[in-house]
Amino acid sequence: MVVRRFVEGVDERLDPGSFVAKNLRKVFPDHWSFMLGEIALYSFVLLVLTGIFLSFFFVASPQETVYSGPYAPMQGRIVSAAYDSVLRLSFEVRAGLVMRQTHHWAALVFMAALIAHLIRVFFTGAFRKPRETSWILGVTLFAVGIAAGFTGYSLPDDLLSGTGLRIIYSAVLSIPFVGTWLAYLFFGGEFPAPELLSRLYVLHILLIPLALMALLGGHLSLVWLQTHTQFRAPGRSEDTVEGTPVWPKFALKSIGLAFLTFAVLAGLGGLVQINPVWLYGPFVPYTASSPAQPDFYAGWLEGLLRLWPDWEFHVFGHTIGELFLPAVVVPGVIFTVLALWPFLEARVAGDRVWHDFAQHPREAPVRSGIGAAGLAFFTVLMLAGSNDVLAKFLDVEVDTLNDVLKVALVVVPAIAGIATWWVCRDLRGSDAHPIGRPRRATIRRGAGGGYEEDEG
Amino acid sequence: MSTRTEAATLSRILRWGLLIAVVGQVLWSFRPAPSRAQTVQERTGQRLYEASCSTCHGLTGDGTGNGPTLQGVSPSAVEFMLTTGRMPLASPNEQPRRQDPRFSPEEIDAIVAYVQTIAPGGVPIPPVDPAAGSLSEGAAVFLDNCAGCHGAGATGDSIGGGRIAPSLDQPTAQEIAEAVRIGPGTMPVFNPRSLSEQELNSLVRYLLWLREDGGDGGLQLGRVGAVAEGLVAGVIGLGLLIVAIRLTGSKT
Amino acid sequence: MRRPERIVAAAFALSILAALGLAAVYVAGGQTQAEGALLLVALGGIGVGLLVWAKTLMPGIGDETQPRPRRARGPEPTAAADAVIGGAEELGRRALLTRLLIGAAVALGLAALFPIRSLGRAPRGSLFTTPWRAGMRLVTVDGTPVTRLTLEVGAFTTVFPEGYVGSADGQAVLINVGDAPLTLPPDRLAGAPDGLVCYSKICTHAGCPVGLYLAAEHQLRCPCHQSTFDVLNGAEPVYGPAPKPLPQLPIEIGDDGNLRATGDFTAPVGPSFWDLPPA
Repeated sequence: MVVRRFVEGVDERLDPGSFVAKNLRKVFPDHWSFMLGEIALYSFVLLVLTGIFLSFFFVASPQETVYSGPYAPMQGRIVSAAYDSVLRLSFEVRAGLVMRQTHHWAALVFMAALIAHLIRVFFTGAFRKPRETSWILGVTLFAVGIAAGFTGYSLPDDLLSGTGLRIIYSAVLSIPFVGTWLAYLFFGGEFPAPELLSRLYVLHILLIPLALMALLGGHLSLVWLQTHTQFRAPGRSEDTVEGTPVWPKFALKSIGLAFLTFAVLAGLGGLVQINPVWLYGPFVPYTASSPAQPDFYAGWLEGLLRLWPDWEFHVFGHTIGELFLPAVVVPGVIFTVLALWPFLEARVAGDRVWHDFAQHPREAPVRSGIGAAGLAFFTVLMLAGSNDVLAKFLDVEVDTLNDVLKVALVVVPAIAGIATWWVCRDLRGSDAHPIGRPRRATIRRGAGGGYEEDEG
Repeated sequence: MSTRTEAATLSRILRWGLLIAVVGQVLWSFRPAPSRAQTVQERTGQRLYEASCSTCHGLTGDGTGNGPTLQGVSPSAVEFMLTTGRMPLASPNEQPRRQDPRFSPEEIDAIVAYVQTIAPGGVPIPPVDPAAGSLSEGAAVFLDNCAGCHGAGATGDSIGGGRIAPSLDQPTAQEIAEAVRIGPGTMPVFNPRSLSEQELNSLVRYLLWLREDGGDGGLQLGRVGAVAEGLVAGVIGLGLLIVAIRLTGSKT
Repeated sequence: MRRPERIVAAAFALSILAALGLAAVYVAGGQTQAEGALLLVALGGIGVGLLVWAKTLMPGIGDETQPRPRRARGPEPTAAADAVIGGAEELGRRALLTRLLIGAAVALGLAALFPIRSLGRAPRGSLFTTPWRAGMRLVTVDGTPVTRLTLEVGAFTTVFPEGYVGSADGQAVLINVGDAPLTLPPDRLAGAPDGLVCYSKICTHAGCPVGLYLAAEHQLRCPCHQSTFDVLNGAEPVYGPAPKPLPQLPIEIGDDGNLRATGDFTAPVGPSFWDLPPA
């Protein structure tokens, strides 16, 4: 048949030797939690595909124009060509809105899956030697992903995203010594400079995707070459990997998951509204609307800014602005610690051995405790970032909620960390599910008055 | 006369005097208010006012320890508070909130008319004609003046101090116009010189339009923005896919 | 057909129908929700079909075990590493040439960084000044000059220097506080005549426009991180992360009733930066 002749033809001309055959037979373990990274990957693929469509219609220019499209409340309004092109895409280009919304939902799910994948890798110790480099590439992907999302949703030049840009500009300004110069360099001058929009475009459609693809390429190649980790199980050894061969079963499952990911993202893209920039209006520097939040993956940064006290420092006649600590130093420390974690843990635990088994969280109580504390920390920060929405939803006073969250920021991670460590230690060695059925016991009172447990 | 008879008489006078003073005070407090109610409507209003409002705002509208004076308060404000059910309050410490109005429209007109007789003046009830406004002017006015508190999608937000700038999907055109002109609660005032009648018409037209039409993108998620979108992406987007991989992947 | 086969067939068939539906919707003019739902079915049908097929219809292909790539244990490098190190050592034998090469590479690299400077402009003093000058009239966003009658008590509006409507650093908020007691230093009290007081609208925390006015409390609040400023007390921050008060724009009421600035703001506007001297 056609496929056989085609493959034989390629085979004859390329003489790939055993390279292709060996790799098509390579096995991959298929624990469900190992698929989280794939969800992120397929979301990225859809981002590129929908992004290509959008790039044909978006105009990255701050030039003023008068909106004259079908969206009545903006008619006659002076807007930038960028904003105008996004409204045109949303209301006049066939399938434009579904493409735009799918693109944005894909960005959110990409980051959500990436974070879930990071959490899985962390709690299973899959970053240990020899996979430290994969981990560093992954943390870099996380940071670049945030930049990708931020530059992306700032492109429509609407009121909400423009406010976010102003905040980043102020954060860069607060950097000691070089802040003013750096801010004027990146932003093209005093905010809002007209050069900013086209720079965001170059970053978002060229430099950042190139970086993401390079990082992804490295990350995936390493997984391929070093083989994927696997959970301990009866009959498994650390020197072998048990799983499904790539072709045909694993590949088909992966492609199926890819299509399912595309389906969920496109479904959201058509059925659930996201980032309605026509409601926010074009960016003007003299007004801001509420609620004002960035996309969720930057929600923890927003929470830091809302909770941080109003400390400002003066040194030698200069000022270190209040934003410097929560907007620059703390995120920098967090990402550095995160990236270097494999080396930190190896040093503290004295563990420089090669590992190919993934651990169940209970096998590493200290790490799991720290991980749980970290998760709790980020969750409280995300709640703080959405505090005004949360306060309205819960019908409580937002200023009091802030005070509660400030305390929670310290207390909840401590409790979560200690509790997790305790449960892990308790369960270590056993296979029982942490929220399993309680052990049943029958207790009988003996004739002499004491109590005994009935065996069996 | 003996000292004992003098003392008895004096004490009788004092007792009677005290009784008359106390009874007199009590009766005096029940005196009817100086009534300037002339028409039937105003008298109906007076009856309703004295039953539901005077405990806190005073029989003469001069206020009491429990409620502020109504002197200088405009008919717009009275009408706004009653039609949106914010008044009458069950207790003086309660936060005024939008509820079903306690009175019928005719009764509200009566109370407004009566309050004008005891507390005249103030901003008249603004005329509002949404059809004469323009959607694009309304959107611009809304974004420049209102979106900071009421949200870009006009669905409300918390503004501190336990208060919430409410969602604007319920009030009538008249109520919106009144609120804009009187600045109820902690809302600032937007007087005609700062926000013209035409701009007000446009604003009202935009808000009425916005209720029906927030865009073609699908489910609006309360127009809350990134918070709701993030939740949907995590819980529904990633959630559905996690269900899928749990079903298709292995558990060991 | 067995049940899994039926499921896969149905999934693919639904997908085909949905794809046809998509084409029809597009030709008919497009409708976002229909497009989303049909894409969900069209893509999901293929996805579900493939997953069910792989999971249940390929029983002959089960789990396999393969050895992991293991390097021979020991400190000796592999042949590949040997080759790389060997090549580097060959270069290293000519020490002077190697050093000059590194010098050339570094120098060129540094020189290549200079064009980056073209991306920005020198800040100079631009963070310390705004367009406001003494005598400039206050105007609203539509260019109308503001008079003493424009705002009633409890009202507020955004103002700009005349000729600079929309100015990002000149933006200010004018409030009429009526008889409420204003606590300002004596030299600034004159700049707030008749209960009309004017402050910079740029939040001193992260630069968002401070657009919420809580009239009953006389407070300005920023929507971004809830910094709250006391209007009666020189816009001092009373809640939230803002570290400094909003600078005041001193104004006067002219003989023609128009409001004019009597100078630039009392301090540089916006959040702090390195070159800002302590107040």
